[in-house]
Formats: sequence, C-alpha cells, structure tokens
Amino acid sequence: MRRIGSLSGAFYAEEELEVHDRTIQLQLGIGAVVAAALLLLVAIPVWVSSPSNVPNIILSPLFWPWALAGLTGITGFGMILTAIREPALAEPVIPDVDDKPKAWGRLASIAAVMIVTMLIMPRIGMVWTSMLVFAVTAFLVRTSHPKTALISAVLVPLVLYAFFAHVAGVAIPQGDFVRLP
Amino acid sequence: MSFADNLMMGFSLVANIESFLALGMGVAVGVIAGAIPGMSATMAVALTLPFTFALQPITGILLLLGVYKGGIFGGSIPAILIKTPGTPASSATVLDGYPLAEMGQAGKALGMALWASCTADLISNLALILFAGFLASFALSFGPPEFFTLMLFSLTIIAGVSGESLLRGALSAMLGLLLATVGLDLIYGTNRFTFGNVNLMGGLNFIAVLIGLFAIPEIIAMVWNPKVFDGQKRSMGKSWVTFADYKRCFKSIVRGSFIGVFLGAIPGIGAAPSAFLSYSEARRTSPNKDNFGKGELEGVAAAEAGNNGVAGATLIPLLALGIPGDVITAIIIGAFMIHGLQPGPMMFILNADIIYALFIGLIVSSVFLFFIGSVAIHGFKYVADIPRGVLFPAVLVLCIFGVFAVNNSIFDVGVMFAMGWVGYFMLRYKIPAAPFLIAFILGPLLEDNFRQAMLMSGSSPLILFRGPITWFFWTLTMITVFAIVRAGIKATRRHVPLQTANQE
Repeated sequence: MRRIGSLSGAFYAEEELEVHDRTIQLQLGIGAVVAAALLLLVAIPVWVSSPSNVPNIILSPLFWPWALAGLTGITGFGMILTAIREPALAEPVIPDVDDKPKAWGRLASIAAVMIVTMLIMPRIGMVWTSMLVFAVTAFLVRTSHPKTALISAVLVPLVLYAFFAHVAGVAIPQGDFVRLP
Repeated sequence: MSFADNLMMGFSLVANIESFLALGMGVAVGVIAGAIPGMSATMAVALTLPFTFALQPITGILLLLGVYKGGIFGGSIPAILIKTPGTPASSATVLDGYPLAEMGQAGKALGMALWASCTADLISNLALILFAGFLASFALSFGPPEFFTLMLFSLTIIAGVSGESLLRGALSAMLGLLLATVGLDLIYGTNRFTFGNVNLMGGLNFIAVLIGLFAIPEIIAMVWNPKVFDGQKRSMGKSWVTFADYKRCFKSIVRGSFIGVFLGAIPGIGAAPSAFLSYSEARRTSPNKDNFGKGELEGVAAAEAGNNGVAGATLIPLLALGIPGDVITAIIIGAFMIHGLQPGPMMFILNADIIYALFIGLIVSSVFLFFIGSVAIHGFKYVADIPRGVLFPAVLVLCIFGVFAVNNSIFDVGVMFAMGWVGYFMLRYKIPAAPFLIAFILGPLLEDNFRQAMLMSGSSPLILFRGPITWFFWTLTMITVFAIVRAGIKATRRHVPLQTANQE
C-alpha cells in the first residue's frame, strides 16, 4: 500500500479507497471544530438564555456552555494536528461488512423501527408495539432461530408487562385498542 | 452504657428469625431488581418501603438495607452479560465485564464481581462501624470549593478510560459535559438547550442516556453486520474465578473499597463516580494496564469494589449526622422517621441498641450477599446461553420497558434511541463511551459547585484554594495530569522508532 504525496493521499491507498485511522481522526477534528463554531455562533446565543442582571460573566448560565464549546474547539484542533503529524494513525481501518448497500438498508430499517415505535406506542400500547419491535429486530439481525424468536416476541413483552405493571406498579401505556388486564 | 452493653443489646434486637429473613429477602429482591435494567436499586428500595410499615423498626430497616446492597451488586449481572448496566453504579463494570463475557468468561467475571462486591461491602461496613464519627465530621468540612476540586480530580479518570486516543476521550467527555448542560439552569432557572420542550427542562434522564449509550449501539451493530454474530451463542465458560485470581486483584479490591468508603462518606457523590475512580486507579497501577477495556478481570474487581464500597459508607452521614448521602439513603431515612427514629448524633445516645443492631445486620448482609449472589449468578447464567438472534431483540424490548419505567415517560424512550445512535456513531468512529458517561455524571456537580463557590466568594477564584482539602485535590490533579502528559510523550516517542523501522 503506497502513500501518495498529498495530504489526502495519505488517507487513502492508491489501489482502493481504504479508510485509515488518520481519516477518522481528521473527520472528527473537523467535526469538533465545526460543532464548536456552531455552538458559539448559533446554538448558545439562540437556545441558552441568561438574565440581564447577572453581576459577573462567570456566574452566567452562558459561561459553562461557552467554556465547553471553546474546549471542544481546542480538542478538535488538537485532533486535526495529530491527524497530520501522528505516525501511529497510519493504520488502515478494516471494513466490517461485505455488502454495504444491504447493511445501510438494514440500518435505515432499524432507524425506521425506532421512529415508528415512538409514533405508535401511545396509540397501540407498549406491549403490542414491543411485540412488533421484537419480531422486526429478530428479522433484521437474521436470527437463526425464527420460531423461538417469534414465540419470544409474544411472550417477552407479556412477561415484562406483567412484572412492571403488576409487581413494580408502573403505568405501562395500554393504547386505544386492546387493553390488557 | 458501655460498648459491650450496646453490642449485647444490638444482638438481642437482631438475633431473631424475622431480622435474618428480612435481610435475606431484601438481598434477594435487591439482586433481582438490580439485574433488571431500569429497575434500579433506588426503585427497588422505594417499592419495598411500604412493606416495612408493619414491621419492627430494625426488621424493616434491615429489609431496606438488604435491598440496597443486593441492588448495587445485581446491576453487575446484566452489565457483564448483555452490556446493559442494571444500575448506574455498574457502568464501569461494563468496560471489562462484557469483553470477558464475549471471550466466554462470563462466569469468571460474574464470580469476581461477587467476590469484589462482598469484600468491598465488608470493608465498607467495618469503616462505618469504626469511623462513622470521624468520617462524618470530615465530610462536613466539604463545601462547594472542595467539591469542585474533588470533581475536577475525578475528571482525570477520563484519561484512564480513553483507550488508545486521549483526544478522542476528551472529545467524548466534552460531548458528555455539553449534554449535561441541557435543562433549567440550577441557579437562575433559565432555559439551556431545552428548545421549548417541557420534557427537556429537567435535563436528560440518566438511565435513558446510560442504556442508550451502552446497550443500543450493540443492537445496531448487530443489525449492521449480523454475519459476525450468526447463530452465535456465548457460554458462561468453564472457567470460574479462583483464589489466585482473587489474590491477584486483592490490592485493587481493597483500594477500590477505600475509594468507595471515602466518596460514600461525602453526601451527594454516589456510587458511579466511585466505581470509575477505582477502575481508573486500578488501571494506572496495574502491570496489565494495556489489557484494561479488553477483558481484564482486575478491571471488573476494581469497578465492583468501588461501587460496593459506597454502600456502607453512605450510611455514615445518615447515621452520624442525619444527612442522606444519596437518593437511596434519603428513602431509608424516611423509613427511620416512619418508625419514630431520628438519625443523627442523638441517635447514638437514645437508640444505641438499634445502631449496633444495624451494624451487626450489615456485617451479616455481606455473608448473605455472597450466598444469594452465587445463586443469582447461576440463575442468570442462562442468559449467556441464549442465541444472539433472540437475545438482542429481547434486550431491546427490555430496554424500552426499563427506560419507560424510570419516569413513566415515552420521551425517555426516545432519548434512549437517540443516545443509541450517538453511541453507535461513537462506536464506529472509535470514540470511547466511558468518558462521555463520566462527564455526564460529573458535569452538573462540577458546574454547580464551581458557580456556588464563585457566588460565595464574589467571583474570586482564590476560594478554590482556600484550605488543605482543596490543596490536596489540586495537588492530586496536577500529579495525574503530569503523569498523563508524560505517558503521552513516551507513547509518541515509542511510535516514531517503530515507524522508522517499518519504513526501513
């Protein structure tokens, strides 16, 4: 694996676009600097409020977020610097999956499962939602025990409901349709 | 009355079947509750409280103490088996416990967690009996400047749990500190990053963040690449913890126990920072420091000793001064009051028999914890045998129920999912999650104590150097930072010749 002379060439192999640890470090560094800038210029002025009569800046509710944003920026610069200079970061990162498009599809599916869970849980109840979540997740992780997974998808939420609702006294959301005792 | 008279009176109160039964049942309930994510020791103690109303004072209080102690240990079981800490105190146990389970040594990790927990519990109880008065008066001399310097020192733990890159650990900690600022400002009551959402005004729920950060990323990782885990089962492993293992980790266990005792005696700190500090110290001094985070038994021992060392010590300010050290002791103080007892210096004079009965009960609880814990480990070991394709969806559902149960809030479930993606991003980008969590725990304490100190002094920073305690922690912080920088420089120098040799 030969390095190309330019900075970007140092991050990618010539033969294939193989990600290096250095790339990750650089991306993280740039991300941290951008996040710090966004915090200082947008997020803190807009979403952190402070009374006008604070006697000293140190006591202001703004002080801590400012200090942290500044430190994040410094950390980001440190990461960029080490990405360029640190020899230990030249190691390539081994790809963890063979079929990336399918993997991204599964990742999008689990994200969708989480969003749908949040939307339907108040309507159909936690138990029924959990049964669906269990079944879909088992399918997404390509379980080699589909029958056990299906039986567990029904039983696990019911057992958890029985424990939390009847032993721990938690008001588990029941939804608008089928209510459990 | 003399010490011997008090001791005999205490014996007469505790030496009956009801007391031992209450203690045993309490430990068993605590272990089971601690082992269920979302059912924290706090929740278990709160749920048990009504059952104590009809009992004798000593029986009721022993029941609650049993639940407390069992709960703290129980949290380590899911932390090791499914990377989901049952209680926040077990967060540090995940770091080495789960990798050990992945290597098929879950039995060894659980066994060590139990041995370390029982040892720390015993040391903590003995500390309570011997040093209650002294430690309570020491803890009283902690004001905001002392707390601030202690928290600042505790943040140096981050270096110990950052893994290969200190900068990525620092970035992770910054994220944790920033996330801890969400909610109402504690001094002025103004909004910080609440985006007008009422649910965010109290800040992000700790359990939701904790479970989201540790358990959910594992599930997402499995969805990303199911092949790695295809049909995979882990067994408990034939290996069980041996006396040689215990002996090797003994120094870290004792050190962790004393860290727990020290931090537990100071109200308001809790078991999680103690576990992380103990873990960090063990890593710093261990000959196997490179193996920490990859499945080092000493890491499990140190983390468990750190959190269990707190259990007895939190009763020091409770019994000696009437000040609850954490939420659980605040509930226990309620139980004292319900039975007409007022913890504090006067209790040592008016109800010395109850105090000594509690001391005896606490010592017995360590023995109960050992036996009940052993049974629980063997009971829960079947979790390790469940195929991943069934276990991971079950963990996801358990997380949903557990996180909801903390505050009866669906919003918290959303926070858990969101934190799961943050955790997954961190996993992919090799950013360690432990510094995030430590910073998230310590962040509010650090900020509040800093601002309170500034309020006290009229914004003069000199208050942060006001006495021997603050100087002690500043010195420790400086020494640790110096050691971290020196280790960093050494590591860089080590890499340069290696690279030169590779190029040649």
